[in-house]
Amino acid sequence: MKTETPFSRSLLEQSQRRRYIPLPIILCVLSISLLLALLLSVSVGSTAIPLATIVKVVLNGTRLFHFVPSWDSSIEVIIWNVRMPVVVGSALVGAALAVAGALFQGILRNPLADPFLIGTSSGAALGATLSFILPVAALGTLFPATAVLAFVGAILTVLFVYALARVQGQTPVVTLLLAGVVVNSVLVALQTLLLSLFPRADFPFQALFNWLSGEIAVTSWYPVLIAAVLVLLGLVLALSLTRVLDALALGEESATALGLNVEAWKFGIVVVASLMTAAAVSISGLIGFVGLVTPHVMRLLLGPEHRSLLPASALGGAIFLILADLLSRTVIAPAVLPVGIFTALVGAPFFLFLLRRSKREYRW
Amino acid sequence: MVAETETRQGLDVASSVPLLQARDVTFGYNRQELLHEVSLAIQTGEMVGLLGPNGSGKTTLLRLLSGIFQPRNGQILLEGRELRQWGRRDVAQRIAVVPQELHMPFAFTVKHMVEMGRTPFIRSFFGSQGSRDREAVQEAMAIAGVADLAERIFNELSGGERQRVLVAMALAQEPSVLLLDEPTAHLDIKYQIETLELVRRLNREHKVTVLAALHDLNLAARYFPRLILFQRGIVADSNPAEVLDPALLRRVYGVDVQVGIMRGSAHLSVLPPVLEEKRGLPERPVVHVIAGGGSGEVMMRALADAHIPFVAGALNIGDSDHTLALHLATEVITEQPYAPISSAVLDQVRASLRSVALLILCPVPIGAGNLALLREALFAAQRGLSVIMLEEQVSEGQEESLEAILPRDYTEGKGTRLLMLLRQAGATVVTSVSEALECAKKQLADETFLSLQ
Repeated sequence: MKTETPFSRSLLEQSQRRRYIPLPIILCVLSISLLLALLLSVSVGSTAIPLATIVKVVLNGTRLFHFVPSWDSSIEVIIWNVRMPVVVGSALVGAALAVAGALFQGILRNPLADPFLIGTSSGAALGATLSFILPVAALGTLFPATAVLAFVGAILTVLFVYALARVQGQTPVVTLLLAGVVVNSVLVALQTLLLSLFPRADFPFQALFNWLSGEIAVTSWYPVLIAAVLVLLGLVLALSLTRVLDALALGEESATALGLNVEAWKFGIVVVASLMTAAAVSISGLIGFVGLVTPHVMRLLLGPEHRSLLPASALGGAIFLILADLLSRTVIAPAVLPVGIFTALVGAPFFLFLLRRSKREYRW
Repeated sequence: MVAETETRQGLDVASSVPLLQARDVTFGYNRQELLHEVSLAIQTGEMVGLLGPNGSGKTTLLRLLSGIFQPRNGQILLEGRELRQWGRRDVAQRIAVVPQELHMPFAFTVKHMVEMGRTPFIRSFFGSQGSRDREAVQEAMAIAGVADLAERIFNELSGGERQRVLVAMALAQEPSVLLLDEPTAHLDIKYQIETLELVRRLNREHKVTVLAALHDLNLAARYFPRLILFQRGIVADSNPAEVLDPALLRRVYGVDVQVGIMRGSAHLSVLPPVLEEKRGLPERPVVHVIAGGGSGEVMMRALADAHIPFVAGALNIGDSDHTLALHLATEVITEQPYAPISSAVLDQVRASLRSVALLILCPVPIGAGNLALLREALFAAQRGLSVIMLEEQVSEGQEESLEAILPRDYTEGKGTRLLMLLRQAGATVVTSVSEALECAKKQLADETFLSLQ
């Protein structure tokens, strides 16, 4: 060691040190990208709206600015009531799923984990199916029955799976995964059974299919606002859990030796992740791939510390889903395709590209 | 100089409440017990090595002491207060654990790993570190010698470096006790020595009390002034010279070893046996003792005092007679805790009964589990083996009522009947240990006389 020159030593260290992009830079870049994606997505559609107009309309909306309208008043309606809810909804869903995915991957110490792994998807799907069968179209006037039942279905299923996996006050990860898989298949079977028993001529199969493949069907602000409250609450809670998530990566025994009440934290993390997933599902249906891949992409860029991983995943997921939604609205316009198609079609090749480009073995 | 440090530590030790203590701790995962009534006390400043064969429950004991497992019965005391009454964080601020190996799924850097050691101290909502935390992390990395590795990925380090990082992580907890679970298990000799030197430095310079489970008896002898030999319970707890007794090691590990001081060394060494030389072999046992539940305690001590080599068994691990036999008997036939005597173990008993000259049957409580032992004893007696039956003193007038079931018989008379048959087969009944010993000496003398003819 002593014989090495400082030069060769620093070279050696550089080659052994994994170099990530610093967190502030990546957060700045991601925030700006998110803003641009939002603007772009609002501007593109059946009527193209210039970016400047959008900015002015939005700034007028804050009531702090008073630009003289040089545009048709219908443009304002389109921006505020048609496109913005969808775009903001996409951003929320993307952020929620990406963070939930990171939480599940962290707590289950499993790179294949995604937000739907322990029953959320089948629970939400069963709830949604029920909403198509039941005679109520909406609860009150504000909330579509599909959203409410999907949310309730997702939460109930996760709690049920968790209760099933609990043995003598412990919830081993393997049991949790297996209970999730089993309950998933039972609920899917129940859903199929329901569909077979109610072959109503006017059953909206197409609508259910679209929901299941993931579509951001938002027609008013209220569901978006409720989802926004839940997702932001979930985000704040998730950010408070970063240290616990890191420690849980050491294994449950070591985490206990560090003074953590592992069972309580595990349950808390599952609740936060499921709440975010359920909030997302309630306004979007089942959108795959975002929750699985976004955290991996962020780990490749930033490293695995949850302190940087979680906020970056939230921003990255939001951008990803806004762009996927934009594609789904424009590719065969005026028809709208389910977003889930594009998250997989675009996301998968991008992820594979990143994975192959990183020269080291990816240890997630 | 070494001696000086040790005496000073010895003085500190005597006066205070034990730092970490186990009191009659019993533990098992399901119905089977792994540890039975373990008691030990570790004083501030001690450096203790925990030895024992694979599966002897060393790791379990460490987990109990660190609060990862809860004892089924008994208590773990930290600074004189029960572990359960401390908050989990408070325990983690005092006891740190270095695991044997750590599987880390993520590519965390060394610095980040060491920072995790501060977990029990950080209370802010978003988990940000204070200046004290940063200092402690720097200090821990410096002491463990991993400061140079700070930005490296933990998973990409060598085994020895990783072990030092785990020690640094534990040091960041600023613990008063460090529990290490076979810290040298996967390391080559250089890193083994490096790791133990580090641990000793922590003990001497940084006043960290150490309890380490170890496999290597030689390293244990060299680095640890106090050793605990463990097999589901404490077999021996003393200095290396007493614990590394070849006879004791042979009974606990089931292998012959030589212990001695190598030329040019200041410490005991444990070596594998030299096969050609038979001098290490103990005397052939001439007496078999069936005991249990404390019924054989006085008898076994008497035999040992009289230098009569004996076999004891079958005895369950955790039975007080078992622990004593490990010290006194030439050979111990061992059965799992609380388990009925299995057929494999019975075969060992049968083989032993064929090779000895005398069987001594202590007044052991008879249950379904050990009834088979009495049957073996009866077969041996009928074959012509001399048997001495040690009975509890019977008050006068009761002597004739042999038809009555003995109070220590829990088998509805089956055991009593076997004892009757034993008497009929010619067993000598005695009512005191001294009488039994006299009788045994006489029988053995006759035996030697016969064999000499």
